[in-house]
Amino acid sequence: MKSTRHIAVLALAVVALASAAMASAASAAPAWKFNGTELAGSETIVGAAISSKLTIPGATTECAHFLYNMKISNSAGTGKGEITELPLFECTASGSCTVESIAAEKLNWPTHLTTIAGKDYLIIENIRVGIKYSGSLCALSGTLTVVKGTAGGLIENETQTAKFNKTTFTATGTSLKVGSSSVEWEGLFPTEGFETHREQAIEG
Amino acid sequence: MLCLPAAALAHSGEFAKFNYCPSTTTGVAHCLISVTNSGEIILGKKTTPIVNPVTLQGGYSEENSENFSTFYAATNGITLSKTKEPVPGGLLGIVPPESSPPLVKLLSKFFFENELTGINAVLELAKPASEIKLSNLNLELEEGIALKLPVKVHLENPFLGSSCYVGSSTSPLIWNLTTGVTNPLAPNKAISGKAGFVEIKEKFEIVQLNENSLVENAWSAPAASGCGGVLSFLVDPIIDTEIGLPATDGNNTAILNNTIDSATVGSVNAH
Repeated sequence: MKSTRHIAVLALAVVALASAAMASAASAAPAWKFNGTELAGSETIVGAAISSKLTIPGATTECAHFLYNMKISNSAGTGKGEITELPLFECTASGSCTVESIAAEKLNWPTHLTTIAGKDYLIIENIRVGIKYSGSLCALSGTLTVVKGTAGGLIENETQTAKFNKTTFTATGTSLKVGSSSVEWEGLFPTEGFETHREQAIEG
Repeated sequence: MLCLPAAALAHSGEFAKFNYCPSTTTGVAHCLISVTNSGEIILGKKTTPIVNPVTLQGGYSEENSENFSTFYAATNGITLSKTKEPVPGGLLGIVPPESSPPLVKLLSKFFFENELTGINAVLELAKPASEIKLSNLNLELEEGIALKLPVKVHLENPFLGSSCYVGSSTSPLIWNLTTGVTNPLAPNKAISGKAGFVEIKEKFEIVQLNENSLVENAWSAPAASGCGGVLSFLVDPIIDTEIGLPATDGNNTAILNNTIDSATVGSVNAH
């Protein structure tokens, strides 16, 4: 129940807030900025996926609600942060499997901004998501399937989104794995300021 | 027409590989067949490469709270195939210590300095299949024990008789195999296994792990026993000297490179 309530709160926040300028400037060490001004102190970023799916070779898992809560700040001119929550809800799997449970593990996950070939990326480290599949015919049932690794997503200032896909993983040299197998993660996340910059966003 | 032992179930297509899974036994949730296609066993001073495929098959339960499953024996009784692996060099070169009694020197010459010195090492289960423990989670995460296998090595050679073993049911070689990193005593150094690449087959009903590597080099081995039949009291020490037995933790290695298939009993029984 607790997690359900929390998801509801986050979802409301996402709906209520207009988009805040969260992205970084294109530099070797990009910093978090709001409306062109470098962030001082810290801020909470809340996002809900426009779309998101994980594909273990041959098996796709999609979640209707894929939210995140990230605390950000600048350190020596570089954007840092950490994912503090990642509630996943109403997830389904292809084939004969159903998703019994799915949860982010070992939070908080550190994040940082980086610029590669003139583009800004958000790097999320120490990702670990446990998925319990079930189904009498589901070969993945019975054991926790753990997706772990590092993910790099492209920050697009124009659309105020962070996009994660095969291209951004390749560009950032990041990967998510189950065992030795690479896992594809496609996700498009709008990003919103939630605390100090909430009013700015509404004005925008 | 394919004839199978009475205990076998004739499953179809890709599921035929699970014919000897105890898929109707209470407690069995999954069927497994793991084929070791390469690797090596270093026992003391002797290295035996795995050149002939070794098969581990049977069923396993749901994981307990510590993420371990209990294993169930294959219905044909061959949970671990008794595959002969030639020991390079055979028994040639075995020289008893200079201080050995004349009879030992004579026996050594008779046993080992002839044309029939080829020797095979055969891996056998030293305990019932229920003593095998499997953790799919540890295997996948590349940490901790993925497969606990109690084994013994049967040394086969016409002169060694039928009961020449390293390890026994009371003193087995305990392999705590991992896909992660080992932590042996010296002179061995840490080695790494690998979870392998996941492939989902048959509409999610079979999971295959390719290029899986299970390793363990922190195990000990007792002295040989039963070698040479009634003369084992003389032959065993010669074998021990040649192989370097007993061999303590840090002197032995097992590397098993596998292809592992698993499916639920629901799927297996439906085909």
